[in-house]
Amino acid sequence: MTKHFIKGTIFLILISFLAVNPLLAATKSEGQGIIKKSQQAFYYAGKDFKARVFMKLINPQGQQRIRDLVMLRKNEPNEEQRYFIYFYEPADVRNTTFMVFKYPNKDSSRWLFIPSINMVKRIAANDKRSSFIGSDFTYEDISGRDIIFDTHTLLREEAQGGKACYVVESIPKEESEYTKKISWIDKTNFLPLKEEYYDSRGELYKVFTADEIKTVQGFPTVTRRTMKNLKSGHRTEVTFKEVNYNLGIEEDLFSERNLKNPPQRWIK
Amino acid sequence: MIQNKLVEFSVNHPRLIIFITLLLSLLFGLQFPKATIDTDPKHMLPATSPVRVYNDQVEKWFGLYPDTIVLGIYNKDGIFNKDTLENITKLTGEILKMKGVAVRDVTSFTTADNVFAQNNDLQVLPLLQKIPQTQEEMEVFKSSLYNNPLLVDRLISKDGTTTAIYVPLEEGANGKVIADQLKKLVRKSGGAEEYYIAGDPVARDTFGAQMFTQMAVFSPLAGMLMFIALFIMFRNFNMVILNMSIAMISIIWSMGLLIGLKFPVHIMSSMIPVFLMSISTDSIHIFNEFCFRFRELKEKKPAIIDTMKVVGAPVSATAMATAAGFACLAFGHIIPVKVFGIFIAFGTLVIRLMSFTLIPAVLSMMKDKTLLKISQKEDIKENPTSRFLRKLGELSVKNAGLILVAGLVLLTLAIIGTAKIRINNNMVSWFKEKSEIRKADAILNSQLGGTSLGYLIVSGPGEDFFKKPGAMKYLESLQREVEKSPLVGKTTSVADYVKRINRVLHKDSPEYETIPDSGTVISQYLFLFGMSAKQSVLNNVIDYPFQKANIWVQLKTWDASAMREVINIAKNYTLRHPMPELEVKPAGIAYFNMVWNDEVLYDMIRTFIFATILVLFILILEFKSFRWGIISIIPLIFAILLVYGFIGFTGKDFDMPISVLSTLTLGMAIDFAIHFASRFKRRYMETQEPLEETLYWTVSRPGRGIIRNAVLFALGFSVMAFASLTPYITVGLFIMSTMLLSAITTLVFLPVLIKLFPKFLLFKKEVPK
Repeated sequence: MTKHFIKGTIFLILISFLAVNPLLAATKSEGQGIIKKSQQAFYYAGKDFKARVFMKLINPQGQQRIRDLVMLRKNEPNEEQRYFIYFYEPADVRNTTFMVFKYPNKDSSRWLFIPSINMVKRIAANDKRSSFIGSDFTYEDISGRDIIFDTHTLLREEAQGGKACYVVESIPKEESEYTKKISWIDKTNFLPLKEEYYDSRGELYKVFTADEIKTVQGFPTVTRRTMKNLKSGHRTEVTFKEVNYNLGIEEDLFSERNLKNPPQRWIK
Repeated sequence: MIQNKLVEFSVNHPRLIIFITLLLSLLFGLQFPKATIDTDPKHMLPATSPVRVYNDQVEKWFGLYPDTIVLGIYNKDGIFNKDTLENITKLTGEILKMKGVAVRDVTSFTTADNVFAQNNDLQVLPLLQKIPQTQEEMEVFKSSLYNNPLLVDRLISKDGTTTAIYVPLEEGANGKVIADQLKKLVRKSGGAEEYYIAGDPVARDTFGAQMFTQMAVFSPLAGMLMFIALFIMFRNFNMVILNMSIAMISIIWSMGLLIGLKFPVHIMSSMIPVFLMSISTDSIHIFNEFCFRFRELKEKKPAIIDTMKVVGAPVSATAMATAAGFACLAFGHIIPVKVFGIFIAFGTLVIRLMSFTLIPAVLSMMKDKTLLKISQKEDIKENPTSRFLRKLGELSVKNAGLILVAGLVLLTLAIIGTAKIRINNNMVSWFKEKSEIRKADAILNSQLGGTSLGYLIVSGPGEDFFKKPGAMKYLESLQREVEKSPLVGKTTSVADYVKRINRVLHKDSPEYETIPDSGTVISQYLFLFGMSAKQSVLNNVIDYPFQKANIWVQLKTWDASAMREVINIAKNYTLRHPMPELEVKPAGIAYFNMVWNDEVLYDMIRTFIFATILVLFILILEFKSFRWGIISIIPLIFAILLVYGFIGFTGKDFDMPISVLSTLTLGMAIDFAIHFASRFKRRYMETQEPLEETLYWTVSRPGRGIIRNAVLFALGFSVMAFASLTPYITVGLFIMSTMLLSAITTLVFLPVLIKLFPKFLLFKKEVPK
């Protein structure tokens, strides 16, 4: 009797393994697909994009630093992108401009124009860990991380803030800033509503939330977002205003000459 | 008198007394399982003390950690080889997984960024992105380190043999626990490297933990030694057990009360048992006298009652003086010291109560035969100790003048020595020279900038103050001034980052290693730096509104005097170069150590003076004579001055542990003079003996009790001399020598003083014709 029972159990376990394995594979490819769509919606919407961006860097004591800038983005073939940034605030860095050429699969190139010494400098930095203009976002968080760096698995589907979401787990294949990321991705527009980052000890340390989503020219756009570092207590709140897509930003905006002398119509 | 009634009652109802005592002990003993332990010496100061409040504030302003462990990695052939770098990479990875470590701010080759110029580009990259495979790559890596002055002496030693991993701790993490994990980790890693673990949390928490374990070892050890000594003195187990029970009861009652009242057992209170054990030896005077009396009277009960009539007064007085001496600690500011003082005072009163209840009760139950056997050996004329003491008494009384002169010479020397005392504190030196902590500290201090970290917080009048070139340059020259001190290994401030950026933006040419003359340029540099590096790097040195800057000062020693020197240099600099509304304030762990050591030290000196006055007051009350009060305290003060003088001449630092001890010995060592004076006066009044004969009697009979008491006392503390922490050794030796010395000074100088100044001390009618 018991012998039969044990045999039966083993059989059942084997069967379930066989059944689950292809399922696992399925959730993996599904996870990858969802992240791909999500990145397209989040980082690549439109042919180009312009917004006035207000950033509040808030330290644990509630003291703030303000960043007020114009951000222009243009998509290029092969998932490359160009970014052009002009700073209004802080007042003493006004006229500072910043240009990023983003490549999938390798660190982006950055150029900075420092008006007070009238100098353009190329900066080589690590996208994965350097902070984007002193905020809690890394460069990767701003422009996207190559999909092949992580293994993405669809964990489940659940509601987040009243919206049906895919919950996808991303685990880096090589050592990275985080050891695990869990994203809640809106099933309808594929925007990430929430992301949790876990550190080397498996502890949650950083949380991204999309706080306001508006549809602009048919593109669902996250117009308010927060990145909060739970360990340091520091957080960054970002608001996008005057969002525009498909303005026809020309290729030659992204040049060293324009960094020094940005065309007025693009930075207004 | 109540005391005499209590004795009579106890003698008549011994079983009831024993039962009540046991019942109460059981009640107090039941509290023990509730004990909580607190080993953090930081808690010596209350959380509301200004230095702790300010340090907390500074840590918030600049996102700093109160505690950082430094893991030094040394390879005598240099660290620039693949194996060592691989080890560092692996180690860092492991450390990033450790609980209690503030992961995001661990600083090592792999987690720190380097800002440097290459091919006209500005590079902000991890110091060690990947391990160099060729000799060429290794050279590039090497020069990238040495070209950045921010890294030299912090992450790489000048000779290339040493690097470090800085491991900040999360709030509440225990430094010793993490240090132990690090030790385990490096033991596994193997290789040609040597590892050194240093930093304040290691020293502090290791000290706290070791103090506890050493107390757990030494309290029973002290008890055993005293057991043996008592046995040699009385050759009778019952007597010894009775004596030890008094100690145990007082320990159980006072520790039980402490725990029951929800006080954590702190480093200080862990010493209560050893102290109470030693204090309980005061009951030796009862046994001492009882043996004499029993021999004379041959009957138990009257012998007990008589003994207590004679000894009761001094036993009471000594208990009062000891309790008062310890209770004085309650008027200080250091909470654990207060707790310690109050509960020792309580324990002392318990001992006193036992002297009038349990001791008479038990004595009355002992067999006559046993008691006779014990007291046989107590013949004053036959006992060698007594005979020796009598000779000593005769010697001092007959050469009173000479001895007084010798005493005055010694006193002068002691005062000269005391004047030489150097007040200083150094927590790392609380460990023995050969201990791992001391070695690690010495190596890292000679190789890198220094393991002791202080901050100078420079604040200006308003927001964006530090974007002005003047302010930034002020910061820089203040740093240079502070660095002139040989005790300062390295300083780092926001000015260093601005200079660094200026240089790397200008093709790494050295003439640009300066602070720009324009505020806009400085602002844009800071912005540029904040754009590329980790947030925390800039946050650690400048606050959000750019109003306060933090200069990191790495000190090469944990001497409190080093931080004091830094503060003085800064103060003098601001006086010589006044800048309106600019303020420089010290902070950081080095400063905290300086303050809490100072606080304890000066608190103790104050308490010491207060305790001296109080003890004197009690003496005057007890003897109902101002003159006798003064005369009895002289031998003790003399003994303490001798010990201080000795410390002064040896050049040993007068540090916090010594200051605590001076106060502690006072209440305990005064007992000898009380016994001597009180017994002498009583004998002198009761008999028709000449003054000299009474003095000889006092030196030889109660004197023997005093010697026994002092020896037992000294034995109790002698075990501490074998401790591995130097403050314990100091405690042991200091108390031992003060106790023995004050017993000797009492037995030698009190007779001399009484002999020389009879008119000053004795009533006219008592002055011998």
